[in-house]
Amino acid sequence: MTENAPAMGLKTSAPPRTPGTGPRSLWQLELRATLSRRRALAIKMGFPLLLVIPLVATDAPQFFAGMLLTILIAMVGTVGTGVSVTRSRGSGWLDRLAVLPLPRWRISLEIFFAGWLVDCVQATIVFLVLELAQRPDPFAILTTWLLALATLGFSGAIGLAVATLTDNAGEAMLFLAVILAPMLFLSGLFTGVPATGIRYWVAQVLPFSYLSDGFQLCLHGNPPYGSSMSFLLAAIGFGIVAVGASAALGRALLARGA
Amino acid sequence: MSHPVLEARDLLRRFSNGRGVGPLNLLVSQGEVLALVGPNGCGKTTLLRCLATRSTPGQGEVLWFGDRDPALARPRLGVVFDATAHADELSARENLAFFASARGAPVGPSTPLLSQAELSDVADEPVASYSYGMRRRLLLAEALAGDPELLLLDEPTLGLDVAGQRWLADVLQERAARGTAVCISTNDTEFVESAATRVCFLVDGLAVHDSPLDELLASLGGSREIHLTSRSQLPVERLRCVPGVEGVALVEGGAIVLAHQREGLLADLLATMGDLDRTLVDLSVREPGLADCFLRITGRALGD
Repeated sequence: MTENAPAMGLKTSAPPRTPGTGPRSLWQLELRATLSRRRALAIKMGFPLLLVIPLVATDAPQFFAGMLLTILIAMVGTVGTGVSVTRSRGSGWLDRLAVLPLPRWRISLEIFFAGWLVDCVQATIVFLVLELAQRPDPFAILTTWLLALATLGFSGAIGLAVATLTDNAGEAMLFLAVILAPMLFLSGLFTGVPATGIRYWVAQVLPFSYLSDGFQLCLHGNPPYGSSMSFLLAAIGFGIVAVGASAALGRALLARGA
Repeated sequence: MSHPVLEARDLLRRFSNGRGVGPLNLLVSQGEVLALVGPNGCGKTTLLRCLATRSTPGQGEVLWFGDRDPALARPRLGVVFDATAHADELSARENLAFFASARGAPVGPSTPLLSQAELSDVADEPVASYSYGMRRRLLLAEALAGDPELLLLDEPTLGLDVAGQRWLADVLQERAARGTAVCISTNDTEFVESAATRVCFLVDGLAVHDSPLDELLASLGGSREIHLTSRSQLPVERLRCVPGVEGVALVEGGAIVLAHQREGLLADLLATMGDLDRTLVDLSVREPGLADCFLRITGRALGD
Protein backbone atom coordinates (compact mmCIF):
# COMPACT_ATOMS: atom_id res chain seq x y z
CA MET A 1 0.00 0.00 0.00
CA THR A 2 2.95 2.25 0.32
CA GLU A 3 4.63 2.90 -2.98
CA ASN A 4 7.29 5.52 -2.81
CA ALA A 5 6.94 9.04 -4.08
CA PRO A 6 6.92 9.94 -7.72
CA ALA A 7 9.81 11.96 -9.06
CA MET A 8 10.59 15.09 -7.10
CA GLY A 9 8.29 17.93 -7.80
CA LEU A 10 6.04 15.99 -10.14
CA LYS A 11 2.42 15.99 -9.23
CA THR A 12 -0.26 13.71 -10.55
CA SER A 13 -3.75 14.99 -11.18
CA ALA A 14 -5.29 13.04 -8.32
CA PRO A 15 -8.40 14.74 -7.00
CA PRO A 16 -8.37 16.39 -3.57
CA ARG A 17 -10.18 14.48 -0.86
CA THR A 18 -12.88 15.96 1.29
CA PRO A 19 -11.58 16.86 4.73
CA GLY A 20 -13.24 14.86 7.44
CA THR A 21 -12.52 12.62 10.34
CA GLY A 22 -9.28 10.79 9.75
CA PRO A 23 -8.81 7.08 10.32
CA ARG A 24 -8.38 6.36 14.02
CA SER A 25 -7.07 2.84 13.71
CA LEU A 26 -4.82 0.87 11.44
CA TRP A 27 -7.55 -1.30 9.95
CA GLN A 28 -9.57 1.79 9.09
CA LEU A 29 -6.53 3.34 7.43
CA GLU A 30 -5.74 0.18 5.47
CA LEU A 31 -9.36 -0.24 4.42
CA ARG A 32 -9.68 3.38 3.33
CA ALA A 33 -6.48 3.07 1.33
CA THR A 34 -7.76 -0.07 -0.42
CA LEU A 35 -11.14 1.50 -1.17
CA SER A 36 -9.39 4.55 -2.63
CA ARG A 37 -7.76 2.45 -5.34
CA ARG A 38 -10.94 2.37 -7.37
CA ARG A 39 -9.65 0.84 -10.59
CA ALA A 40 -7.78 -1.93 -8.80
CA LEU A 41 -10.83 -2.52 -6.65
CA ALA A 42 -13.12 -2.80 -9.68
CA ILE A 43 -10.78 -5.36 -11.26
CA LYS A 44 -10.52 -7.27 -7.99
CA MET A 45 -14.27 -7.43 -7.61
CA GLY A 46 -14.92 -8.19 -11.26
CA PHE A 47 -12.43 -10.94 -11.97
CA PRO A 48 -14.15 -13.74 -9.95
CA LEU A 49 -17.10 -13.27 -12.31
CA LEU A 50 -14.86 -14.28 -15.20
CA LEU A 51 -14.51 -17.66 -13.55
CA VAL A 52 -17.83 -18.30 -11.85
CA ILE A 53 -20.16 -17.19 -14.67
CA PRO A 54 -18.74 -19.60 -17.30
CA LEU A 55 -18.67 -22.39 -14.70
CA VAL A 56 -22.35 -22.09 -13.84
CA ALA A 57 -23.48 -21.12 -17.33
CA THR A 58 -21.91 -24.17 -18.95
CA ASP A 59 -22.91 -26.63 -16.21
CA ALA A 60 -19.29 -27.60 -15.70
CA PRO A 61 -18.79 -30.86 -13.76
CA GLN A 62 -19.27 -30.10 -10.06
CA PHE A 63 -15.93 -31.60 -9.03
CA PHE A 64 -13.98 -29.32 -11.39
CA ALA A 65 -16.11 -26.28 -10.60
CA GLY A 66 -15.63 -26.87 -6.87
CA MET A 67 -11.89 -27.26 -7.35
CA LEU A 68 -11.56 -24.06 -9.41
CA LEU A 69 -13.66 -21.96 -7.06
CA THR A 70 -11.68 -23.25 -4.05
CA ILE A 71 -8.41 -22.40 -5.76
CA LEU A 72 -9.84 -18.94 -6.49
CA ILE A 73 -10.65 -18.39 -2.80
CA ALA A 74 -7.23 -19.71 -1.71
CA MET A 75 -5.41 -17.47 -4.18
CA VAL A 76 -7.44 -14.38 -3.26
CA GLY A 77 -6.61 -14.83 0.43
CA THR A 78 -2.95 -15.73 0.17
CA VAL A 79 -1.84 -13.47 -2.67
CA GLY A 80 -3.83 -10.43 -1.51
CA THR A 81 -2.45 -10.43 2.01
CA GLY A 82 0.97 -11.89 1.21
CA VAL A 83 1.90 -9.44 -1.52
CA SER A 84 0.51 -6.32 0.14
CA VAL A 85 2.21 -7.04 3.48
CA THR A 86 5.45 -7.93 1.73
CA ARG A 87 5.31 -4.58 -0.08
CA SER A 88 4.60 -2.81 3.18
CA ARG A 89 7.72 -4.37 4.62
CA GLY A 90 9.84 -3.43 1.63
CA SER A 91 8.67 0.19 1.62
CA GLY A 92 9.40 0.74 5.32
CA TRP A 93 5.73 1.04 6.26
CA LEU A 94 5.99 -1.75 8.84
CA ASP A 95 9.08 -0.03 10.26
CA ARG A 96 6.97 3.01 10.90
CA LEU A 97 4.16 1.01 12.46
CA ALA A 98 6.61 -0.89 14.66
CA VAL A 99 7.57 2.23 16.62
CA LEU A 100 3.96 3.19 17.33
CA PRO A 101 2.53 2.28 20.73
CA LEU A 102 0.48 -0.58 19.32
CA PRO A 103 0.95 -4.22 20.35
CA ARG A 104 2.56 -6.41 17.69
CA TRP A 105 -0.41 -8.77 17.57
CA ARG A 106 -2.77 -5.87 17.02
CA ILE A 107 -0.78 -4.43 14.12
CA SER A 108 -0.74 -7.73 12.29
CA LEU A 109 -4.37 -8.51 13.13
CA GLU A 110 -5.59 -5.11 11.93
CA ILE A 111 -3.68 -5.39 8.63
CA PHE A 112 -5.06 -8.91 8.21
CA PHE A 113 -8.60 -7.80 9.07
CA ALA A 114 -8.69 -4.92 6.58
CA GLY A 115 -7.52 -7.20 3.76
CA TRP A 116 -9.92 -9.94 4.82
CA LEU A 117 -12.93 -7.58 4.73
CA VAL A 118 -12.27 -6.71 1.09
CA ASP A 119 -11.62 -10.35 0.21
CA CYS A 120 -14.96 -11.26 1.82
CA VAL A 121 -16.81 -8.92 -0.51
CA GLN A 122 -14.99 -10.51 -3.44
CA ALA A 123 -15.98 -14.01 -2.30
CA THR A 124 -19.56 -12.93 -1.65
CA ILE A 125 -19.92 -11.95 -5.30
CA VAL A 126 -19.18 -15.56 -6.22
CA PHE A 127 -21.90 -16.78 -3.87
CA LEU A 128 -24.41 -14.29 -5.20
CA VAL A 129 -23.89 -15.70 -8.68
CA LEU A 130 -24.23 -19.25 -7.34
CA GLU A 131 -27.42 -18.31 -5.51
CA LEU A 132 -28.96 -16.66 -8.56
CA ALA A 133 -27.93 -19.34 -11.04
CA GLN A 134 -28.20 -22.55 -9.03
CA ARG A 135 -30.71 -21.89 -6.21
CA PRO A 136 -28.91 -24.25 -3.84
CA ASP A 137 -30.20 -25.35 -0.46
CA PRO A 138 -30.19 -22.17 1.71
CA PHE A 139 -28.36 -23.83 4.63
CA ALA A 140 -25.78 -25.33 2.29
CA ILE A 141 -24.95 -22.02 0.65
CA LEU A 142 -24.93 -20.16 3.96
CA THR A 143 -22.53 -22.60 5.60
CA THR A 144 -20.34 -22.79 2.49
CA TRP A 145 -20.21 -18.99 2.38
CA LEU A 146 -19.14 -18.90 6.03
CA LEU A 147 -16.56 -21.58 5.27
CA ALA A 148 -15.27 -19.51 2.34
CA LEU A 149 -14.83 -16.51 4.64
CA ALA A 150 -12.93 -18.68 7.13
CA THR A 151 -10.82 -20.10 4.30
CA LEU A 152 -10.00 -16.56 3.20
CA GLY A 153 -8.81 -15.91 6.75
CA PHE A 154 -6.77 -19.11 6.81
CA SER A 155 -5.23 -18.21 3.44
CA GLY A 156 -4.57 -14.67 4.63
CA ALA A 157 -2.66 -16.08 7.59
CA ILE A 158 -0.53 -18.07 5.13
CA GLY A 159 0.09 -14.79 3.28
CA LEU A 160 1.19 -13.13 6.53
CA ALA A 161 3.50 -16.05 7.28
CA VAL A 162 5.11 -15.70 3.86
CA ALA A 163 5.58 -11.95 4.45
CA THR A 164 7.75 -12.81 7.45
CA LEU A 165 10.14 -14.58 5.06
CA THR A 166 10.74 -11.91 2.43
CA ASP A 167 10.25 -8.24 1.61
CA ASN A 168 10.21 -8.87 -2.13
CA ALA A 169 6.77 -9.26 -3.73
CA GLY A 170 8.02 -11.54 -6.53
CA GLU A 171 9.71 -13.83 -4.05
CA ALA A 172 6.55 -13.84 -1.96
CA MET A 173 4.56 -15.12 -4.97
CA LEU A 174 7.07 -17.91 -5.37
CA PHE A 175 6.84 -18.88 -1.70
CA LEU A 176 3.05 -18.82 -1.90
CA ALA A 177 3.00 -21.14 -4.89
CA VAL A 178 5.41 -23.53 -3.18
CA ILE A 179 3.31 -23.60 -0.02
CA LEU A 180 -0.16 -23.54 -1.56
CA ALA A 181 0.25 -26.13 -4.34
CA PRO A 182 0.96 -29.11 -2.04
CA MET A 183 -1.75 -27.95 0.34
CA LEU A 184 -4.32 -27.95 -2.46
CA PHE A 185 -3.12 -31.35 -3.66
CA LEU A 186 -3.26 -32.84 -0.17
CA SER A 187 -6.75 -31.40 0.23
CA GLY A 188 -7.82 -33.70 -2.60
CA LEU A 189 -8.73 -30.90 -4.97
CA PHE A 190 -7.16 -32.56 -8.00
CA THR A 191 -7.79 -36.23 -7.26
CA GLY A 192 -10.41 -36.40 -4.54
CA VAL A 193 -9.73 -37.34 -0.94
CA PRO A 194 -8.87 -41.02 -0.42
CA ALA A 195 -10.99 -42.88 2.15
CA THR A 196 -8.02 -43.80 4.34
CA GLY A 197 -4.36 -43.04 4.87
CA ILE A 198 -2.36 -39.96 5.63
CA ARG A 199 -3.87 -37.91 2.79
CA TYR A 200 -7.29 -38.45 4.29
CA TRP A 201 -6.14 -37.07 7.65
CA VAL A 202 -4.23 -34.17 6.13
CA ALA A 203 -7.33 -33.20 4.16
CA GLN A 204 -9.29 -33.04 7.42
CA VAL A 205 -7.03 -30.35 8.87
CA LEU A 206 -7.06 -28.08 5.81
CA PRO A 207 -10.07 -25.92 4.93
CA PHE A 208 -9.74 -26.39 1.17
CA SER A 209 -11.14 -29.93 1.13
CA TYR A 210 -14.26 -28.81 3.02
CA LEU A 211 -14.70 -25.77 0.81
CA SER A 212 -14.40 -27.79 -2.36
CA ASP A 213 -17.09 -30.13 -1.07
CA GLY A 214 -19.21 -27.15 -0.08
CA PHE A 215 -19.06 -25.68 -3.57
CA GLN A 216 -19.98 -29.07 -5.03
CA LEU A 217 -22.98 -29.19 -2.74
CA CYS A 218 -24.05 -25.70 -3.81
CA LEU A 219 -23.76 -26.85 -7.44
CA HIS A 220 -26.11 -29.75 -6.70
CA GLY A 221 -23.27 -32.27 -6.65
CA ASN A 222 -22.85 -35.10 -4.23
CA PRO A 223 -19.53 -34.69 -2.40
CA PRO A 224 -18.35 -37.81 -0.60
CA TYR A 225 -17.68 -36.23 2.81
CA GLY A 226 -19.61 -32.99 2.84
CA SER A 227 -22.54 -31.96 4.97
CA SER A 228 -23.70 -28.47 5.81
CA MET A 229 -23.13 -29.03 9.51
CA SER A 230 -19.53 -30.13 8.96
CA PHE A 231 -18.99 -26.99 6.85
CA LEU A 232 -20.31 -24.84 9.67
CA LEU A 233 -18.05 -26.48 12.25
CA ALA A 234 -15.09 -26.20 9.88
CA ALA A 235 -15.85 -22.52 9.32
CA ILE A 236 -15.81 -21.86 13.06
CA GLY A 237 -12.65 -23.90 13.61
CA PHE A 238 -10.63 -22.49 10.74
CA GLY A 239 -11.85 -18.98 11.54
CA ILE A 240 -10.43 -19.29 15.04
CA VAL A 241 -7.17 -20.71 13.67
CA ALA A 242 -6.89 -17.81 11.19
CA VAL A 243 -7.41 -15.11 13.81
CA GLY A 244 -5.06 -16.79 16.29
CA ALA A 245 -2.34 -17.36 13.71
CA SER A 246 -2.56 -13.81 12.38
CA ALA A 247 -2.18 -12.36 15.85
CA ALA A 248 0.66 -14.74 16.68
CA LEU A 249 2.53 -13.81 13.49
CA GLY A 250 2.70 -10.15 14.51
CA ARG A 251 5.90 -10.50 16.51
CA ALA A 252 7.67 -12.43 13.73
CA LEU A 253 6.43 -10.01 11.07
CA LEU A 254 7.67 -6.91 12.88
CA ALA A 255 10.85 -8.56 14.10
CA ARG A 256 12.06 -8.74 10.49
CA GLY A 257 14.28 -5.80 9.68
CA ALA A 258 14.64 -4.93 13.35
CA MET B 1 18.40 20.14 36.80
CA SER B 2 17.39 18.38 33.59
CA HIS B 3 16.46 14.72 33.76
CA PRO B 4 17.91 12.04 31.52
CA VAL B 5 15.27 11.05 29.00
CA LEU B 6 17.31 8.58 27.02
CA GLU B 7 20.28 6.55 28.10
CA ALA B 8 22.30 3.94 26.23
CA ARG B 9 24.60 1.83 28.39
CA ASP B 10 27.34 -0.17 26.69
CA LEU B 11 25.08 -0.44 23.67
CA LEU B 12 26.43 -2.78 21.00
CA ARG B 13 24.84 -3.84 17.75
CA ARG B 14 27.24 -5.17 15.13
CA PHE B 15 26.43 -7.06 11.95
CA SER B 16 28.30 -10.03 10.55
CA ASN B 17 30.37 -7.72 8.32
CA GLY B 18 31.60 -5.83 11.39
CA ARG B 19 29.56 -2.72 10.62
CA GLY B 20 27.14 -1.40 13.17
CA VAL B 21 27.56 0.50 16.36
CA GLY B 22 29.07 0.22 19.82
CA PRO B 23 29.97 -0.40 22.42
CA LEU B 24 29.01 3.11 23.43
CA ASN B 25 27.28 5.11 26.13
CA LEU B 26 24.96 7.98 25.44
CA LEU B 27 22.77 10.28 27.48
CA VAL B 28 20.12 12.70 26.26
CA SER B 29 18.48 15.01 28.77
CA GLN B 30 15.33 17.09 28.76
CA GLY B 31 15.64 20.15 26.54
CA GLU B 32 18.72 18.88 24.73
CA VAL B 33 19.13 18.55 20.97
CA LEU B 34 21.81 15.94 20.46
CA ALA B 35 23.22 15.46 16.97
CA LEU B 36 24.88 12.18 16.08
CA VAL B 37 27.36 13.20 13.39
CA GLY B 38 29.55 10.96 11.32
CA PRO B 39 30.29 9.83 7.77
CA ASN B 40 28.12 7.34 5.91
CA GLY B 41 28.32 3.84 7.35
CA CYS B 42 29.52 4.98 10.77
CA GLY B 43 26.49 3.47 12.54
CA LYS B 44 24.26 6.52 13.01
CA THR B 45 21.13 4.89 11.65
CA THR B 46 21.78 1.61 13.46
CA LEU B 47 22.14 3.53 16.71
CA LEU B 48 19.03 5.59 16.08
CA ARG B 49 16.99 2.46 15.32
CA CYS B 50 18.06 1.00 18.67
CA LEU B 51 17.18 4.24 20.44
CA ALA B 52 13.82 4.39 18.62
CA THR B 53 12.84 0.89 19.87
CA ARG B 54 12.96 -0.52 16.33
CA SER B 55 16.09 -2.64 16.84
CA THR B 56 17.30 -4.52 19.86
CA PRO B 57 20.95 -4.11 20.85
CA GLY B 58 23.04 -7.26 20.81
CA GLN B 59 24.56 -6.21 24.13
CA GLY B 60 23.97 -3.42 26.59
CA GLU B 61 20.70 -1.67 27.17
CA VAL B 62 18.66 1.41 26.41
CA LEU B 63 16.63 3.21 29.04
CA TRP B 64 13.79 5.46 28.02
CA PHE B 65 12.60 7.75 30.80
CA GLY B 66 14.48 5.50 33.20
CA ASP B 67 12.72 2.34 32.05
CA ARG B 68 13.94 -0.58 29.93
CA ASP B 69 10.55 -1.45 28.43
CA PRO B 70 10.26 -0.14 24.85
CA ALA B 71 6.49 -0.63 24.88
CA LEU B 72 6.18 1.89 27.71
CA ALA B 73 8.38 4.35 25.85
CA ARG B 74 6.63 4.27 22.47
CA PRO B 75 3.66 6.52 23.36
CA ARG B 76 6.19 9.21 24.31
CA LEU B 77 8.36 8.99 21.17
CA GLY B 78 8.22 10.79 17.85
CA VAL B 79 10.29 8.94 15.27
CA VAL B 80 11.37 9.64 11.70
CA PHE B 81 13.26 6.99 9.74
CA ASP B 82 14.65 7.43 6.25
CA ALA B 83 11.71 5.68 4.53
CA THR B 84 8.89 7.98 3.45
CA ALA B 85 6.24 5.25 3.47
CA HIS B 86 2.67 6.46 3.89
CA ALA B 87 -0.82 5.34 3.02
CA ASP B 88 -0.29 6.90 -0.39
CA GLU B 89 -3.91 6.81 -1.47
CA LEU B 90 -4.95 8.89 1.51
CA SER B 91 -4.37 12.57 2.17
CA ALA B 92 -1.79 14.15 4.46
CA ARG B 93 -4.63 15.03 6.83
CA GLU B 94 -5.76 11.40 7.02
CA ASN B 95 -2.23 10.06 7.45
CA LEU B 96 -1.51 12.58 10.17
CA ALA B 97 -4.79 11.77 11.91
CA PHE B 98 -3.87 8.11 12.04
CA PHE B 99 -0.36 8.58 13.42
CA ALA B 100 -1.51 11.09 16.01
CA SER B 101 -4.38 8.87 17.03
CA ALA B 102 -2.16 5.80 17.28
CA ARG B 103 0.00 7.69 19.77
CA GLY B 104 -3.08 8.56 21.79
CA ALA B 105 -3.11 12.21 20.76
CA PRO B 106 -5.85 12.67 18.18
CA VAL B 107 -5.64 15.84 16.11
CA GLY B 108 -8.54 17.75 14.60
CA PRO B 109 -8.89 18.37 10.87
CA SER B 110 -7.52 21.91 11.32
CA THR B 111 -4.30 20.95 13.09
CA PRO B 112 -1.64 23.69 12.82
CA LEU B 113 1.01 21.06 12.15
CA LEU B 114 0.06 20.86 8.47
CA SER B 115 0.33 24.60 7.99
CA GLN B 116 3.60 24.70 9.93
CA ALA B 117 4.93 22.05 7.56
CA GLU B 118 3.58 24.16 4.66
CA LEU B 119 1.29 21.37 3.56
CA SER B 120 -2.08 23.00 4.25
CA ASP B 121 -2.68 23.78 0.55
CA VAL B 122 -2.28 20.14 -0.39
CA ALA B 123 -3.48 18.58 2.86
CA ASP B 124 -6.47 16.93 1.21
CA GLU B 125 -4.66 15.60 -1.84
CA PRO B 126 -3.46 11.98 -1.90
CA VAL B 127 0.09 11.63 -0.61
CA ALA B 128 0.89 9.73 -3.83
CA SER B 129 0.89 13.08 -5.61
CA TYR B 130 3.52 14.59 -3.28
CA SER B 131 7.13 15.26 -4.08
CA TYR B 132 9.83 13.63 -1.96
CA GLY B 133 10.36 16.84 0.03
CA MET B 134 6.65 17.13 0.80
CA ARG B 135 6.57 13.54 2.01
CA ARG B 136 9.51 14.27 4.29
CA ARG B 137 7.69 17.31 5.70
CA LEU B 138 4.66 15.14 6.37
CA LEU B 139 6.84 12.57 8.14
CA LEU B 140 8.16 15.29 10.41
CA ALA B 141 4.66 16.64 11.09
CA GLU B 142 3.53 13.11 12.01
CA ALA B 143 6.47 12.70 14.38
CA LEU B 144 5.70 16.03 16.04
CA ALA B 145 1.99 15.31 16.51
CA GLY B 146 0.97 14.88 20.11
CA ASP B 147 4.02 16.70 21.54
CA PRO B 148 6.23 13.64 22.12
CA GLU B 149 8.73 13.97 24.95
CA LEU B 150 11.53 12.42 22.92
CA LEU B 151 12.11 13.02 19.20
CA LEU B 152 14.38 10.64 17.29
CA LEU B 153 15.02 11.80 13.75
CA ASP B 154 17.15 10.01 11.17
CA GLU B 155 18.56 12.41 8.55
CA PRO B 156 15.76 14.92 9.19
CA THR B 157 16.93 17.42 6.57
CA LEU B 158 16.85 14.91 3.75
CA GLY B 159 14.76 16.33 0.91
CA LEU B 160 14.05 19.61 2.70
CA ASP B 161 14.72 22.92 0.97
CA VAL B 162 16.38 25.82 2.80
CA ALA B 163 13.05 27.10 4.13
CA GLY B 164 12.15 23.61 5.29
CA GLN B 165 15.45 23.24 7.12
CA ARG B 166 14.95 26.60 8.79
CA TRP B 167 11.44 25.57 9.84
CA LEU B 168 12.74 22.32 11.27
CA ALA B 169 15.56 24.00 13.18
CA ASP B 170 13.06 26.48 14.67
CA VAL B 171 10.64 23.70 15.62
CA LEU B 172 13.34 21.62 17.29
CA GLN B 173 14.63 24.59 19.26
CA GLU B 174 11.12 25.57 20.28
CA ARG B 175 10.30 21.99 21.37
CA ALA B 176 13.59 21.71 23.23
CA ALA B 177 12.85 24.95 25.06
CA ARG B 178 9.63 23.29 26.26
CA GLY B 179 11.60 20.34 27.60
CA THR B 180 11.51 17.89 24.70
CA ALA B 181 14.65 15.83 24.26
CA VAL B 182 15.77 15.50 20.65
CA CYS B 183 18.25 13.13 19.06
CA ILE B 184 19.05 13.51 15.37
CA SER B 185 21.43 11.57 13.17
CA THR B 186 22.86 13.52 10.28
CA ASN B 187 25.98 14.63 8.49
CA ASP B 188 24.45 17.97 7.56
CA THR B 189 26.76 20.11 9.69
CA GLU B 190 25.14 23.41 8.77
CA PHE B 191 21.83 22.14 10.12
CA VAL B 192 23.49 20.82 13.26
CA GLU B 193 25.06 24.22 13.88
CA SER B 194 21.63 25.85 13.58
CA ALA B 195 19.65 23.36 15.66
CA ALA B 196 21.73 21.24 18.03
CA THR B 197 22.91 21.93 21.54
CA ARG B 198 25.24 18.95 21.79
CA VAL B 199 27.19 16.91 19.28
CA CYS B 200 28.42 13.35 19.36
CA PHE B 201 30.92 12.32 16.67
CA LEU B 202 30.69 8.71 15.54
CA VAL B 203 33.49 6.91 13.72
CA ASP B 204 33.27 3.21 12.86
CA GLY B 205 30.38 2.80 15.28
CA LEU B 206 32.19 4.35 18.24
CA ALA B 207 31.45 7.66 19.95
CA VAL B 208 34.80 9.43 19.65
CA HIS B 209 33.72 12.80 20.97
CA ASP B 210 30.70 14.16 22.82
CA SER B 211 30.43 17.79 23.90
CA PRO B 212 28.21 20.88 23.76
CA LEU B 213 28.11 22.48 20.34
CA ASP B 214 29.14 25.90 21.67
CA GLU B 215 32.29 24.47 23.26
CA LEU B 216 33.15 22.61 20.12
CA LEU B 217 32.81 25.65 17.87
CA ALA B 218 34.60 27.90 20.36
CA SER B 219 37.58 25.56 20.20
CA LEU B 220 37.98 26.60 16.58
CA GLY B 221 38.71 30.23 17.49
CA GLY B 222 41.60 31.49 15.38
CA SER B 223 41.50 28.52 13.04
CA ARG B 224 40.91 28.60 9.33
CA GLU B 225 39.71 26.03 6.83
CA ILE B 226 41.87 26.00 3.70
CA HIS B 227 40.55 24.20 0.62
CA LEU B 228 43.21 23.10 -1.84
CA THR B 229 42.00 21.93 -5.23
CA SER B 230 44.66 20.13 -7.22
CA ARG B 231 45.08 18.04 -10.36
CA SER B 232 47.44 15.69 -8.55
CA GLN B 233 47.66 13.88 -5.22
CA LEU B 234 48.67 16.27 -2.44
CA PRO B 235 51.39 15.35 0.11
CA VAL B 236 49.14 14.93 3.12
CA GLU B 237 51.83 13.85 5.55
CA ARG B 238 54.11 16.80 4.65
CA LEU B 239 51.18 19.22 4.98
CA ARG B 240 50.42 17.85 8.44
CA CYS B 241 53.94 18.79 9.54
CA VAL B 242 53.51 22.48 8.69
CA PRO B 243 53.43 24.50 11.94
CA GLY B 244 49.87 25.46 12.90
CA VAL B 245 48.20 22.70 10.88
CA GLU B 246 45.64 20.88 13.03
CA GLY B 247 44.34 18.40 10.50
CA VAL B 248 44.42 17.47 6.84
CA ALA B 249 41.90 15.38 4.98
CA LEU B 250 41.96 14.29 1.38
CA VAL B 251 38.73 14.99 -0.44
CA GLU B 252 37.74 14.52 -4.04
CA GLY B 253 39.92 16.80 -6.16
CA GLY B 254 42.17 17.99 -3.35
CA ALA B 255 42.40 18.40 0.40
CA ILE B 256 41.01 20.36 3.30
CA VAL B 257 43.53 21.76 5.75
CA LEU B 258 42.48 23.01 9.15
CA ALA B 259 45.12 25.30 10.57
CA HIS B 260 45.60 27.90 13.25
CA GLN B 261 45.79 31.32 11.60
CA ARG B 262 49.28 32.82 11.57
CA GLU B 263 51.40 34.98 9.35
CA GLY B 264 53.04 33.06 6.52
CA LEU B 265 50.83 30.02 6.84
CA LEU B 266 49.75 29.93 3.20
CA ALA B 267 53.29 30.48 2.00
CA ASP B 268 54.48 27.58 4.15
CA LEU B 269 51.77 25.32 2.81
CA LEU B 270 52.67 26.14 -0.78
CA ALA B 271 56.35 25.67 -0.06
CA THR B 272 55.65 22.25 1.44
CA MET B 273 53.93 21.20 -1.73
CA GLY B 274 57.12 21.85 -3.71
CA ASP B 275 56.63 21.34 -7.45
CA LEU B 276 53.11 20.15 -6.86
CA ASP B 277 51.98 23.75 -6.40
CA ARG B 278 51.94 23.96 -10.22
CA THR B 279 49.07 21.51 -10.27
CA LEU B 280 47.09 23.59 -7.80
CA VAL B 281 43.86 24.75 -9.41
CA ASP B 282 42.32 26.67 -6.56
CA LEU B 283 42.97 27.74 -2.99
CA SER B 284 40.33 29.23 -0.72
CA VAL B 285 40.26 30.16 2.95
CA ARG B 286 36.98 29.85 4.87
CA GLU B 287 35.65 30.26 8.36
CA PRO B 288 35.77 26.83 9.96
CA GLY B 289 32.68 24.98 11.13
CA LEU B 290 31.58 21.74 12.66
CA ALA B 291 33.03 19.69 9.81
CA ASP B 292 36.45 21.08 10.77
CA CYS B 293 35.93 20.04 14.39
CA PHE B 294 35.28 16.55 13.07
CA LEU B 295 38.44 16.72 10.99
CA ARG B 296 40.56 17.93 13.89
CA ILE B 297 39.22 15.34 16.34
CA THR B 298 39.04 12.30 14.10
CA GLY B 299 41.66 13.14 11.46
CA ARG B 300 39.06 12.33 8.82
CA ALA B 301 36.81 14.42 6.63
CA LEU B 302 33.11 14.00 7.28
CA GLY B 303 32.58 12.88 3.72
CA ASP B 304 35.07 9.99 4.04
